[in-house]
Amino acid sequence: MAAPLDGIKVLDLSWVMVGPVSARYLADLGAEVIKVESTSRIDPLRTLPPFKDAQFGLERSLSYHNLNAGKKSLTLDLKDPRGRKVVLRLARWADVVVESFAPRVLADLGLTFETLQRERADLIMVSTSIAGRTGPYANQTRGVGTNGAALAGASFLIGWPDRTPVGPFGPWTDSVAPRFVVPSILAALRRRQQTGQGLFIDVAQSEAGLQFLAPAALEHATNGTIPQRRGPTSPHRVPHGVFPCRGEDRWVAIDASSDRHWQALRGGVGGALSNARYDTLLGRLRARDEIERLIGEWTADREAVQVEIALQELGVPAHVVCRAADLATDPHLEAAGHLRWFEDPNLGRGAIEGPRFELLATGTVQTRRGPGIGEHTAEVLRDVCGYSEEEISEMTSQGVLK
Amino acid sequence: MLSDLRVLELSAPETMLAGQTLGDLGADVIVVEPPAGAAGRRLEPFVDEVPGLERSLTWHAFNRNKRGMTLDLGSADGRALLADLAERADVVIGAAGPDADPLEIVAVAAERNPRLVRCAIRPFARSGPKSNYASSDLILVAASGSLGMSGDPDRAPIPFPVPQAMLEASGEAVIGVLAALVARERTGEGQQVEISNRLAALLPGFGQAMVIPSGNQEPTRSGGTLSLAGVQIPSTFVCADGYVVVSIAFGPAFGPMTGRLAEWLAEEGTVPAETAAVDWVAFGLGLMTGAAEPEPLRSLVEGVEVLCRRLSKEELAAAARERGLLVAPAMDMADLYRSLQYRERGLWAELEIGTTGRTVEAPARFGHFSDYRIEVRRPAPGLSQHTVELLRDELRLSPTEIQSLYIHGVF
Repeated sequence: MAAPLDGIKVLDLSWVMVGPVSARYLADLGAEVIKVESTSRIDPLRTLPPFKDAQFGLERSLSYHNLNAGKKSLTLDLKDPRGRKVVLRLARWADVVVESFAPRVLADLGLTFETLQRERADLIMVSTSIAGRTGPYANQTRGVGTNGAALAGASFLIGWPDRTPVGPFGPWTDSVAPRFVVPSILAALRRRQQTGQGLFIDVAQSEAGLQFLAPAALEHATNGTIPQRRGPTSPHRVPHGVFPCRGEDRWVAIDASSDRHWQALRGGVGGALSNARYDTLLGRLRARDEIERLIGEWTADREAVQVEIALQELGVPAHVVCRAADLATDPHLEAAGHLRWFEDPNLGRGAIEGPRFELLATGTVQTRRGPGIGEHTAEVLRDVCGYSEEEISEMTSQGVLK
Repeated sequence: MLSDLRVLELSAPETMLAGQTLGDLGADVIVVEPPAGAAGRRLEPFVDEVPGLERSLTWHAFNRNKRGMTLDLGSADGRALLADLAERADVVIGAAGPDADPLEIVAVAAERNPRLVRCAIRPFARSGPKSNYASSDLILVAASGSLGMSGDPDRAPIPFPVPQAMLEASGEAVIGVLAALVARERTGEGQQVEISNRLAALLPGFGQAMVIPSGNQEPTRSGGTLSLAGVQIPSTFVCADGYVVVSIAFGPAFGPMTGRLAEWLAEEGTVPAETAAVDWVAFGLGLMTGAAEPEPLRSLVEGVEVLCRRLSKEELAAAARERGLLVAPAMDMADLYRSLQYRERGLWAELEIGTTGRTVEAPARFGHFSDYRIEVRRPAPGLSQHTVELLRDELRLSPTEIQSLYIHGVF
């Protein structure tokens, strides 16, 4: 079976994470994705680590390759009206346009949905931003995913009660928003297959992030309380948490709070855990500190992976708290072939992540590397936009294609 | 938008948001639970901290826009009824683990209904290493690489207080299901969609799996603090009434905002004029090459600390908007509900909290569309609320048959 989005054309005007990740899902599903870049306006993602062999280079960022796998890159100066004309031609070609410009930029470029829809009535366009494209603060709110995490409520909720909150790892809302952007695009594509309608989609990273915190929002709305940070402890479960293991900053996660798992854990570990006071959940809740200390003493002497294996053999939910080295040697990730290797003219051999879903009948396309900056400029102008060699030369000498 | 679709969701914590997102986009979603209620109903927080099958706010948060029925899938009748419903459905979503695979029940339906899209969410994999691992949300978050990079480095890593792995799985499931439905428009056939919860959970790890294979050293935890040329740059600062997240970055894309931040600090007198005169666009590169000294950066960070302490979250947010700064208050849930931006965008919608008789505002809209609006058509269903209606209207069972099934515990 052909890939689900075989024949679908995507114009990716976005940069950094949310838009590109979303467009990559479409590439993985078989769409042809053209990304517009500029040498005078470098995608910050090209400057984000990890770099191949820790050497900085605009073509050496694995983050860039990972989020732009399988796309073509065309360089255009969007400040030049001739550059904007090329984008208009591409917008006519595209079934889907993805953008993440700062507020007002799109209108200044003359590339609003209203304008583009005149070129193509069934256009599907996605606008992604921190705060959204409507609302009193839309035009003034800038941010990256760490700011998005703050505006979504995540930063406040994670940390120790006796310290400044530390928030989630990384630009968190960048990883949540695509889970809502992509379904919106796919639902719109499906509707278009049936009715021929287009759609404009506006997803705010802050609003997407809040979806993943909805229980905390409802807790406030219903109970009138303001959820606070509480460290790693779950008040209702013992043992449930991370325990220190041998080595520097090594931890194992154990969830043995249920009856069945608790019996299995203490059966395997023995020792002071066999105390009859810990037979019941209530007993364990009341002796939380002791139990956590005893388990921590048991794990502290052991390698995290040994604890994981030993406890899983007993049927107890446990896993190394993975860091980069753990993920690099993880048997599940290896067997799943999650890392996809590629050859690149600029950085040699590289590995990026594969898709996170499997469609058993249609499959996804083979994971390819991300493009070099402007790598496909001539090809796209000629084959997609229909410019002649002369027109392309002229644009080059006029500095439009940078 | 998806109003022609019928979705059967075999409820598990990992399926809830998937069913709801499809429901939000217009699909007719039926969530199937065991007679004693789905595991999702036993997740905190609870209304007024009093637990009960209709009082889980996590259940209410992730099960709107669905009808709900119960079926004992351990009984022959329960399995047969599910297969009958699946024959008439477009999508079935379920979570499978080492102990149970509810989708095996619908395998029969798939033969009779080749258009059916079946989505299985598994903790790790169908087969191979870790396929029989005992799992839970904490375990999957641990396996994802994001937990290992979280929290202050001198203490234990800290997971989110709201379980995340189940939501990551749902996020991928919706994408897989919709992709299969797009394919079906062309081919006329459904298919099996497999989601590894562990792979889904890797996304907020931002590529940790690539670090070592690309020839890099394993990064250490930093608690959100960047260390640059001996200067510690925190990301969260104390302010007068809480906390604020400030991003200090360089280069052409973000340097200008750091420049404007420095100007503001100079106006307010918390940094000297020289700090505001620095070329913050070039500063990062300068530090790396040794062309720039770290002192202005130290001055900048101290200036941010001093100014933030003087100002409230609202004042800092207003300044960020007026001046175009990468500054965002660490909003708490009360702040979120007060925010004019969220309110005027239409984020909130009225949601009944089941049988409690209460109605609250829920953050019901993950996106806005030009000709479609996400609405709360139904609150989360009560336990078995629609079973009789579905057995009667969908499967045309008689009252006697329905009562008999109930008497025998099939629902």
